Amino acid sequence: MRRPAQLLRGALAGFLVVWFLTPLIPLVLWAGAEGWSGVARLPERWSLDAFLTALGEGSGIALLRSLALGTAVAILATPTGALAARALARGTVRRPRLVAAVLLAPVALPVFAVVMGLNVVLLRLHLPAPIGILLVLVVAALPYTTYVMRVAYGAYDVAYEDEARTLGASPWAVAWWVRLPLLAPGVASATFLAFLVGWSDYIVTLVVGGGRFVTVPVLVASAASGTGNEPTVAALSIGALVPPTLALTAAALLRRRLTRPAVRLREPARADRALASTPGAA
Amino acid sequence: MSTHLTLQGLTRHYPGTDAAALSGLDLTVPAGSCLALLGPSGSGKTTVLRLASGLDRPDAGDVLLDGRSVLGVAPEHRGMAMVFQRPLLFPHRNVLDNVAFAARVRRTPRRQARAEAKEYLDLVHLSDLGHRHPSDLSGGQQQRVAVARALAARPHVLMLDEPFSALDTPLREEMHELVRQIREALDPTIVLVTHDQAEAAALAEEVAVLSEGRLVQQDAVDRIYTRPRSLLVARLMGGRNEVPGEVHGHHHHSILGSIALPVDVRPSDGPGVLVFRQEAAHVTDVDDSDADARGTVTAVRVIGARRLLTIRPDRIDGDARALTDDLHIHAETPPGHRAGSGARVGLRLSPHALTVVPAAASPPGQVGRTPPATSAARTVQAPTESVR
Repeated sequence: MRRPAQLLRGALAGFLVVWFLTPLIPLVLWAGAEGWSGVARLPERWSLDAFLTALGEGSGIALLRSLALGTAVAILATPTGALAARALARGTVRRPRLVAAVLLAPVALPVFAVVMGLNVVLLRLHLPAPIGILLVLVVAALPYTTYVMRVAYGAYDVAYEDEARTLGASPWAVAWWVRLPLLAPGVASATFLAFLVGWSDYIVTLVVGGGRFVTVPVLVASAASGTGNEPTVAALSIGALVPPTLALTAAALLRRRLTRPAVRLREPARADRALASTPGAA
Repeated sequence: MSTHLTLQGLTRHYPGTDAAALSGLDLTVPAGSCLALLGPSGSGKTTVLRLASGLDRPDAGDVLLDGRSVLGVAPEHRGMAMVFQRPLLFPHRNVLDNVAFAARVRRTPRRQARAEAKEYLDLVHLSDLGHRHPSDLSGGQQQRVAVARALAARPHVLMLDEPFSALDTPLREEMHELVRQIREALDPTIVLVTHDQAEAAALAEEVAVLSEGRLVQQDAVDRIYTRPRSLLVARLMGGRNEVPGEVHGHHHHSILGSIALPVDVRPSDGPGVLVFRQEAAHVTDVDDSDADARGTVTAVRVIGARRLLTIRPDRIDGDARALTDDLHIHAETPPGHRAGSGARVGLRLSPHALTVVPAAASPPGQVGRTPPATSAARTVQAPTESVR
């Protein structure tokens, strides 16, 4: 018999699944529709033309740009956030609360206001638009990477490093054999979040890029601003879901692989129990 | 594997603290011997290990291995493997690969490193558990793996920092036996930090007593029990009997009367405290003509098979200064001894187990009593919990 708490938990989980999946249903329907009057419950005619149209709109190159942007933001913001988090966690920073507040500020400030101001600076510096976008997005991603890594460092026990040193590991060996694997779950989460900041950004890309650096969100937005493009917008949106989903799966797999050794016995039997179950060892 | 370790004038003052964590510590640990560092918490025991192993740098002093200074040598090249109170097994490696860690960071091929690791797992009787995840092991097993991992690094000196204090008593005795076996098999030089005098005595040839960052006494186990140099050492080692009095002509005069001192105990004449172990006070009949003192049993405490009697000694009149009403003698009796509360008994003191130390400023019982084994009740937390 199941207890009420379990039932409640199950119901909540079911609700969340519905909550997250419901918006995807019209997306999938629109992407596959050739004609949908809006009066009918389902599209009248089906085809995959929307995906071809989306490709024709330059979504391939936009996808590559977005991937590159997300990856570059992750590559820059994750180690930087990790270093900041390490300093905060170790207490080597003076006024750590102030520093943490400054690092988290980009989340609190309206992006639009910041980017309008920064855009002037970037224009004066004559930086190429993609570099400018990257710099601003790295700053926008830092709060997330710093926060996630701060939590990871908070749970990290430096005594492991002392132990490793006395066992013969150099500082580099400690970083590679001990620190990185132990912090890997945090690094994976931070990388994923930073990637998402680059992948899903619209405002910074639009303002700093002047509309000429077309990424997936820019493309989706411009397609969505017209009328009658619903199938194309839906196809683009579905395409935009794929890379983050893949990245999330990869991060989850990596986390499992690094927190558990490759060889592991399935059964939870401990040695004492194993001994007790040996015949004659009552 | 055996190396002679010498510490010379080691001093460490942590910034922002009033007193030095360690001041001018001199210690020698002969090759293949086991030295126990004993002292209350905060006495600098762990600082000694950190400075010796290179995890921390001394402000002054030197660390010598076989007579050569290793101050400029990084911890990973000093060859002083450490076992901490927590096992600190790497949660991302299974048991075998934990033991193989030292070989792997030295770039030994994986297969060979694992083969060697297996031998060390054999040594701690856990060869069947190599493929387990550390969190699947019990606290005692985890600590065995930690010992195997440290030994597999083939250290010049093995450093044990209260390694067994989180284990319960039977497990701790098992670990003591394991250390004895390891010493027989590998003959390593060992420095053991502990706050448990019984553990120090069980494992080490020599005990170094630390207090407030200073070495108070380094001596063989037997001598540190029978010839403590101060009340502090006597109390830290669990000694219970302190009889204030005066020394004249190689005799100690007190409420117990005049007691002859051993030949090698030569205190200067004047005030002095007679110190002897409760194990060295033998309870006899009250009319025993050879008794050194007589008295009345006021309390009996059972300690396993033995019993600890608290005895109020009869006054031997003549020296009024030494008379204190709250002076009690403690004596342990073997199983089967009947004397109960209120009984009149005689006391014989083992003549070789007596010594005289200078009087202390603080009253007895305030300093250095080893706290009841609260640490034994602490559970060993699997290190993986914190990093998942």
